[in-house]
Amino acid sequence: MYPELYNFVAQNRDLFRFFYSILIAVICFIVFLKTDRLFRISSHQGIRYFRNAFFFYGIAFVLRYLLAKPIYFELMRLVFEFFMIMGGFFLFYSLLWKKFEGYKEISSLFNLKIAIFCILTGIIVVLDYLWEGYTFMFISQIILFGFASIISYKNYKSGGKQHKFLKLYFCVMILNFIAWTLNFIFSSFFGSRLRWLANVYVLNVIVFLIFLYGVIKVTKKDNKS
Amino acid sequence: MARKRERLEVIKDILNAIRENKNIKPTRLLYASNLSPQMFKEYINELIEKKFINLDVGEEDKKTFSITKKGNEFLEEYRVIERFVENFGL
Repeated sequence: MYPELYNFVAQNRDLFRFFYSILIAVICFIVFLKTDRLFRISSHQGIRYFRNAFFFYGIAFVLRYLLAKPIYFELMRLVFEFFMIMGGFFLFYSLLWKKFEGYKEISSLFNLKIAIFCILTGIIVVLDYLWEGYTFMFISQIILFGFASIISYKNYKSGGKQHKFLKLYFCVMILNFIAWTLNFIFSSFFGSRLRWLANVYVLNVIVFLIFLYGVIKVTKKDNKS
Repeated sequence: MARKRERLEVIKDILNAIRENKNIKPTRLLYASNLSPQMFKEYINELIEKKFINLDVGEEDKKTFSITKKGNEFLEEYRVIERFVENFGL
């Protein structure tokens, strides 16, 4: 559709990868800092898991930039994948934690549920290492965001009129689901061509920008939802 | 029928009662919180554990509650926290 643009991106692939990774990492750390402050005041476990998700995503995207360098490529790839999958699990669990935990403050890293996520993530990373790809990560995230879309749709239906961002949050989960599905299709069947993957990158940037917009808007002191 | 208070709202009400009545006694706080004794105990334990309030034991074993700096910060930011939790479905 825009051949000149694609050619320009293809010629400056590393530069664009750098800006893409850094942009998302910066968004993640802003979200992390904003939610960390709220967590420290409230000790709310849901805010804690949401915050952790963006911390893990932030680390993953910093590592993703490092993947451009051939040194330690394999190690970086494994660590990147670990943080990326754990970010997804934390975001998903932030919607579900109330069903599994009481309101007692427990560690968000060292508890049984998170240990299960760590083990699952470890298994996925090892399987992808053995199969030399990201197939298992893609499938796990597609399933995860499929369920997250259903949960956020239910949340929107039950409280969407009073809390406007619930609708946008549901849309973000759907976009996340679409982004992971396209990523899987393009990587598996179109040989990771930049022409196709660039669309996923744009979608990812939109997803993270919506998260940032939501966090900034909702945490504004004088706003009313 | 009166609507059921959300958890964060209950916490806000307890903290407000403590802030407005310095060194409030447990029985008075129980009435002010409008909770059952069992629920009241759970909330108080949680608030002490999260360092939102202190249980002070004075002369003749007299127990009173006082709000901490963290508890005050929670009240200042209550609206933002409530809005965040509700808008993100947490």
